[in-house]
Amino acid sequence: MNYRKIAAGGAVLALAGLMLTGTPAHAKAPAAACAGSNQVKETLPNGTTWQLCWRMQPQAGLVLEKVAVSYKRYPQQLLVLDSIRLAQLNVPYDSGETEYNDITDYGFGGGFLETLTGDDCKGGSARTGSDGAATPRRRKILCVSAEPSGLAYRSHDWDAQGREKVYNKLGHDLVLRSISKVGWYEYVTEYRLHDDGQISARLGATGDLSPGDYVNSSRGWPIGKNARDYASMHYHSAFWRVDFNIDGKNKDKVEQYDTKPDGRGPATAKLKTTKTDIAKEGSFNRANRRWWRVVSDTSKNTDGHKRSYELSVGADDKYEGHPETTPDVTFTQSHACEKYASGNADPQCATKKTIIDFAKDKETLKDPVMWVRVGFHHVPRDEDQSPMPLHWQGFDLTPRDATNMNPLTPDGRTSQNGQPR
Amino acid sequence: MQRRRRWAWGLGIATASALTAFGVASWQANAAPNPAPSTAAAADAPRVSDPQPGPEAAAGTGADPLTTDEVGKARAAALTPELARKSTDVTGAAGPEYLSIELAEEGDARTADVYFYDYKTDKLVKQVVDLRTGKVAGSYSAAGMQLPASDREVQTALDLLMADPLAAELKSAYQQATGKTLAGKDGLTVTAHVFKARPADAATKQCGKHRCLQLVVQSKDGTFIDANDLVIDLSGRTVARLK
Ligand SMILES: [Cu+2]
Repeated sequence: MNYRKIAAGGAVLALAGLMLTGTPAHAKAPAAACAGSNQVKETLPNGTTWQLCWRMQPQAGLVLEKVAVSYKRYPQQLLVLDSIRLAQLNVPYDSGETEYNDITDYGFGGGFLETLTGDDCKGGSARTGSDGAATPRRRKILCVSAEPSGLAYRSHDWDAQGREKVYNKLGHDLVLRSISKVGWYEYVTEYRLHDDGQISARLGATGDLSPGDYVNSSRGWPIGKNARDYASMHYHSAFWRVDFNIDGKNKDKVEQYDTKPDGRGPATAKLKTTKTDIAKEGSFNRANRRWWRVVSDTSKNTDGHKRSYELSVGADDKYEGHPETTPDVTFTQSHACEKYASGNADPQCATKKTIIDFAKDKETLKDPVMWVRVGFHHVPRDEDQSPMPLHWQGFDLTPRDATNMNPLTPDGRTSQNGQPR
Repeated sequence: MQRRRRWAWGLGIATASALTAFGVASWQANAAPNPAPSTAAAADAPRVSDPQPGPEAAAGTGADPLTTDEVGKARAAALTPELARKSTDVTGAAGPEYLSIELAEEGDARTADVYFYDYKTDKLVKQVVDLRTGKVAGSYSAAGMQLPASDREVQTALDLLMADPLAAELKSAYQQATGKTLAGKDGLTVTAHVFKARPADAATKQCGKHRCLQLVVQSKDGTFIDANDLVIDLSGRTVARLK
């Protein structure tokens, strides 16, 4: 049986999992991904284990590297990401007077990074590490916690005697969180690693409204008594830089899927789905039913399907203020000095200032980097005073065929693979 | 529907027991931490490990952040005699202004990117230091490129502002916000961001080529003092009003 073979090899490979993910071209034995204090390895109640390295960068703040997952049912560790981190945060005010670039003009690391205190990490483990400052200090700056994520699944079943049974399970997330204070805003950088393999990246904003940006009624919202103090509407438009390396093979490709009306069937409209290979650098925009995935060209699950992760973006306000803030997603070939979606300032590649510059030469995507933009147009409300309730923006990376079935499948359902026949 | 379900379950029995067997065996072989007990209480309050931080290592491995030792060594190596001689810092003294350091994001060797600003040429300087050899492996500079301000640059900007006639505006904003008179810069907590001129900014049009800062000013009790219209040009050592 196929399963048994995989399982037998799986246990051994899992131990060496991260060691195997180095670039194949490198002749020497690859070094460990990171030392103990910068490694997070936790097993959630359903048996899913996430392992990764973390550190703080002066501008980007929290960086996760070598993010890998294994499951009780699939113990062979699967590398998913080489790295994920923020890549810009534009905060333009609707007055057109002010725009802050909180990552490239301030930074989420160093002195802007908050030491965790009080309820910041209640119920979790506050980890100590370097804050990434010019003169680094070791402080409690990363919160690691496991949090219930609600019902993971539910399904009815009947036994041979016709007795009813319900499969249901509470899910959990491994949550990594850091806090950066930039001016009056306090931002939460958060990654939720779900026990079903999903990765959620979110940015939360709290703190207080800008004390100085008050405008007229068409660009603000009255937050004090009567109609006097109109707090300026503004954006928090964020970019993340996501560098996949599915199964450590360095063979990732990008695909776009579109589903369009295709005439009518007897009951309703027919829809047709087509795939477009994205072989070269470029920027792309959302459309109804459009989605993208990063798929390994060589790593397959036991059903013979290529392993992939799909980008899912939820609520999003597009910020059209600049050419580089307009596209929803940009794929570029990985280059070390292409670090920030805008305001990229590296003398080693002085002409590469934004993702538009990075993608301009339409390079072939051999090691694709995904730049995801998610915006939140913040219309202040009375409740924003004070402190402001956290508001969130972000996206999900959902496994698609990373495992041949739901990695949390209960024992009674393991035969449910493919069309029942 | 029920018939199909029953049939499916019947098929499942053999597979389920086989999988249970492999599951237990592989957990043991893997020596992974045991999953939390499946009691309701444990499931409601999952725990993560809480390791105590040991002393900082002399050198990091792989993706570890740069250690204090590594930062010291990389900074020393990056400041080559030539760079020290040819450049000036934010105070006008010889040697470049140290801005930041970070682990290079790609490549297998541990490499530090050390960033300086040279006020003599208004260029951002990047020195790439190989941490194994302790040598500069690459040296780059470019004009019109700005990284976030160093603490000393922020303090220098505040000093320039306090010594400028436009300090009157900061003092009046302080008075308005706190009801008190600003005694001196010790009464302020200041951060800053780099400012680059927009097309309409006449008085500060050199900012971007020059290194300019806008201050975010708070009184010691946390009240924000509006200094947003004041731009300090660290390269030109001038202060200007935005509008
Ligand atoms: Cu806001």
